[in-house]
Amino acid sequence: MSDIKNDAPPIRHLMMGNEAIARGALEAGLRVAAGYPGTPSSEIIETLAKQASKHNLYVEWSVNEKVAMEVAASASFANIRSMCVLKQPGLNVAADFLLHLSGSGTRGGMVIVSADDPGALSSINEGETRPYAKLMEVPLLEPGDFQEAKDMTKWAFELSEKIKNVVILRTVTRLSHASGDIVMGEIPEFTGKVEFRHEGFIIDPMEGAVMSAPVEYKHTLQQQKLAQTVDIFESSPFNIYNGPDKPELLIITSSICSLYCREAVSLLNLEKRVGILKMGTTFPLPPQFMKRHLSLTDRIIFIEEVLPFLEDEVKILCAEMVKDIGIKTFYGKRDKTIPMVGEMNADITLKALADLMGMTYQGAPEDYKKKAQELSFMKTPGREPTFCPGCPHRASFFSIHEALKLDNRHGFVCGDIGCYSMAVLPCGFQSIKTLHAMGSGTGIASGFGQLKRFGMDQPVLSVCGDSTFFHAAMPALANAVHHQSNIVMVILDNSGTAMTGFQPHPGLKTSAEGSDAIGIDIPSVCRAMGAHVTICDPFDLESTKETLLNMMDENKGVNVLVLKQACALSPEKKQKQKYDMTIDESLCQGESCGCGRICTRIFCCPGLIWDKDAGKSKINPVTCAGCGVCASVCPKGAILKKEV
Amino acid sequence: MKTSSPGSLKTDIQDRDLCINCGACTELCPYFKSYKGKIAMIFNCTLGQGKCFAHCPKAEVDLDELSLFFHQKPYDGHPLGHFKSIHVSRAGETMARVLFQNGGTVSSLISCALNNGVIDHAILTDKNGILPEPRLVNTTEDTLHCATSKYLAAPTLGELNKAMQNKLSNIGLVGTPCQMIAAALTRMNPMNQDGFKDPVSLSIGLFCTWALDTRKFMTFISSKMEIRDIKRMDIPPPPAGIAVIEKDREIINIPLEDIRPLILEGCSVCPDMTAEFSDISVGTFEDNPEWNTLIIRTEKGEQLVEDACKKGYLTLSDLPEKSLDHLLSGAGMKKKKAILKAGTEGLMNTLDNSKPAVLRMPESLIKTITK
Amino acid sequence: MNTLSLQHDPFNLIITGVGGQGNVLGSRLVGNMLSRKGFSITIGETFGASQRGGAVMSHMRISTHGNFSPQIPKGRAHMIVALEPVEAIRVLVDYGNPGVRAIVNTRPLHPAGVIAGNVSYPSIDELQKWTCELSAHAWFMDATFEAMKLGNPIFANIIMAGALAGTGTLPLQRKDFQTIINEQFSSEKADVNLKAFDIGYKRVEQEMG
Repeated sequence: MSDIKNDAPPIRHLMMGNEAIARGALEAGLRVAAGYPGTPSSEIIETLAKQASKHNLYVEWSVNEKVAMEVAASASFANIRSMCVLKQPGLNVAADFLLHLSGSGTRGGMVIVSADDPGALSSINEGETRPYAKLMEVPLLEPGDFQEAKDMTKWAFELSEKIKNVVILRTVTRLSHASGDIVMGEIPEFTGKVEFRHEGFIIDPMEGAVMSAPVEYKHTLQQQKLAQTVDIFESSPFNIYNGPDKPELLIITSSICSLYCREAVSLLNLEKRVGILKMGTTFPLPPQFMKRHLSLTDRIIFIEEVLPFLEDEVKILCAEMVKDIGIKTFYGKRDKTIPMVGEMNADITLKALADLMGMTYQGAPEDYKKKAQELSFMKTPGREPTFCPGCPHRASFFSIHEALKLDNRHGFVCGDIGCYSMAVLPCGFQSIKTLHAMGSGTGIASGFGQLKRFGMDQPVLSVCGDSTFFHAAMPALANAVHHQSNIVMVILDNSGTAMTGFQPHPGLKTSAEGSDAIGIDIPSVCRAMGAHVTICDPFDLESTKETLLNMMDENKGVNVLVLKQACALSPEKKQKQKYDMTIDESLCQGESCGCGRICTRIFCCPGLIWDKDAGKSKINPVTCAGCGVCASVCPKGAILKKEV
Repeated sequence: MKTSSPGSLKTDIQDRDLCINCGACTELCPYFKSYKGKIAMIFNCTLGQGKCFAHCPKAEVDLDELSLFFHQKPYDGHPLGHFKSIHVSRAGETMARVLFQNGGTVSSLISCALNNGVIDHAILTDKNGILPEPRLVNTTEDTLHCATSKYLAAPTLGELNKAMQNKLSNIGLVGTPCQMIAAALTRMNPMNQDGFKDPVSLSIGLFCTWALDTRKFMTFISSKMEIRDIKRMDIPPPPAGIAVIEKDREIINIPLEDIRPLILEGCSVCPDMTAEFSDISVGTFEDNPEWNTLIIRTEKGEQLVEDACKKGYLTLSDLPEKSLDHLLSGAGMKKKKAILKAGTEGLMNTLDNSKPAVLRMPESLIKTITK
Repeated sequence: MNTLSLQHDPFNLIITGVGGQGNVLGSRLVGNMLSRKGFSITIGETFGASQRGGAVMSHMRISTHGNFSPQIPKGRAHMIVALEPVEAIRVLVDYGNPGVRAIVNTRPLHPAGVIAGNVSYPSIDELQKWTCELSAHAWFMDATFEAMKLGNPIFANIIMAGALAGTGTLPLQRKDFQTIINEQFSSEKADVNLKAFDIGYKRVEQEMG
């Protein structure tokens, strides 16, 4: 699917935004790419990894985003082009390094692609990349469509090399995960030999040491680079105005929102009354270019997601230029014309524009909408996300929940990021009670484990995935062991970064490019750190529960339970059932006292069906993954498993 | 009897600390389980009525109804309940001389019943470390293994539920007064199950004044010694006022005042010291620890004791008048205290749409008992 | 190249279903068939966390001139292909209008709330009735059943793609499908995919008379 074609230009292709970014990087002569998986960014590294051998690239899934950025930076220091790819929360992880990097400057073109997820479609926050550009004092680019995603990525490398500093390219879910038409360019060939030059004068940008000190000198230099960027941005082809010479209203927008604006203006037939200023270079804003367009009208609306970044930056400019451009009226997030949270779409834009222009807009006719509403909430059941059929997490949390309840001391689970985050929902028996960043479950547990001295006598558990373990949980574990925090850390090892599509991690024996890698054994790492380690198969509910109970009983130190079972969607398991499952209806007790249909009501695997009319549970042959766990859940032995 | 939901059992009984871990709600379904002396509700259950609630000896026990079922007579509030005769007893020559807590009466009776085919299985309480553990046995040897008092609440009735699921019948059951009440409730088939067969052929109740909260006891004792070193625990009859803990080479006396705070809350509203809803009740004989006090309550009980004496399993003697007075006053006191407490806590004869009652009995009887 | 024409420009197509039903694959396939004919295609997809048993939607904008936003405005869909019948209703409620048409796979996939018994799942008759009430025309078929006859329920998405082609609403031809499928799969796999496509195509064609 995400195999970007290498056809010669100008053949046009239907491409995903992420593939377009990857293609742009290839056309720029990218050599090294590193990232950590995170929706909606993951396909960029995946796409590049597939092209690695063909185009002589080095592509890796790094242990975390900070290391990914460091790996990418090394290539830039050696004067070749490199890219670091992450989702926005990953930018937070890498921020420490980024501040040093932006101060030290770069050599070969280096681009950071950071993917935001407005509306948190696949995240548990809607963090913003754009303020980082301002904080780190580096240029920011925002592609507005698919072609720009490719072209702007390519150009970002040139910009980086010109100013000798890193450039941030910000994408969003609706661009990264959408597809559109791309006209391809050429991919250059790589020749030459790479060398890191370091023997020149210490502050020589190309021959000396690479560092952010001496700070005053380097910081001044960094700001000069930004000033140089402003000059370049003044004539950037990525900033486009479309509209009348004297619009009644000026829309200032960026990223995928520009498409919503275009559509809204067209649906409301406002082409002759409203102008759209689509900004591609959103930090630092080019003041002269802005001045020309801000002079067109006195009413300005900002359409952007998520924070009012453009809005605030433009307002600063307007304040500075008020003598020349006059007083403006602004509409946007600050005055609540546009919601402060969540993603944008054409409908929000349509409503805002219609209101401001004194018009009305409706999608479907009122009577249709009324009829539709009647049928919606009451009659169509919602579809909340759940663990897949055969998912080891459902089994793991079933045992965790049971152990916590049996233990009866109000124990709880601190969670973090992965499919298992869904254990805050009924599919994970609402076991997780704190949910924050990668590895935070164990860090928070480490702290809770110290509160015994203040009378807290609840057992403290943390969960983390195998990829998360390497990413951020190892320091937390070290902290807990070192300080003798009394916790049980459960590592849900499903053999891959499952949530984002089975990217490898340091625990596995393959790399992003599919070549051999050294797999690091998680239990050995934990033991070396001084934790007591037990390994269980989560599909063995009984022994998992017993082990947990014993671990919670031990009132000292760190116990690690590794629950090892591959993800049901993993390539080695998908479409391969271990068991053929059937239900003996004569044994199934359904709702009656003694069972209360625990299989469907509580365990609730989508591989099961509750046949209300028959009062029996059934196997759904379309969805059942044949893991066999529900057979252990049934108290009456009515669910039968036969090895396939 | 009024029956309510599993949810009510959780919120109205367990969450109010009335549960005494008898096990009657366990081994019925995947939801109620006993672990280390405490019952946990693992997942919620949405049924309006459940066997778990119906079997619970702390939930809606109508003593009149129970008495009519078990003794075919209304409840009369007598300190010892309905009975036929009272004796003292000890194991006879047929029984191997092993170390019994007291007179070995229970083990002797169960052995006799097993060997004579009165019962096919017996549900007793064994130990795992210091934790009591229910056990289904079929032989004298296994029966003897379960001898001695436990003082910690055991989920013995779970074993009965399990046995019923496995379609076992002809079972002899030994348990505390609350467990005898739970067993009687279970045997009433409160949920009107089709094809229900009473699985219990013999019930032997043990005198009990209270039991300890397992977890509180373990915390308490683990601050004094390694739990795994404990061999045996005994609480000699008053006026000793101590608990005796035997270790390998050492005997430790712990004042009862230290132990009292560890008593299960639910025991304070128990009106039954002598296991009134059993065929035979057995307890200590305060004058002579080599003997037991034995109360015969039913014809079945009478028959077994007679048989056991005839075959040398048991030796009977008369209970001295003074001891009977003592027993009556002890049992009467427990009943009075419990009913007063249940009354003041609002756990007696509650109204229809309020929380479930722990006990129900005619108001006139309450007055008589608490006079 | 022929002059491109569409019943609506942009033509707004929504392919909906449940995570794991091959929704994304189906929309990519239809998109590629049309893209090769010279249409400008924009596909907006919702996947990620919602892929885990959640509702999945692909919004496809088909135009003769340039890309549109990856989200169709409310009430503006022209055609809805639903791999699951409740998802058809959900999408109709948000994006339907009196002129919309729908092709619906009638095989339910019960959401967790239904398996748990907290909410009930409407009957197929009800779902068909509501779908008809909310559309100008609707086609129904048990594509999952047909797909299982071919050996795997996953072929339901190809059957539905075939059905979409069969309606003649969009310039989708069998030979276009064949070309693409031959590029992507071995001949054996391509054959079964083609069979699936034909099943859907014929079902709708027959009904159209």
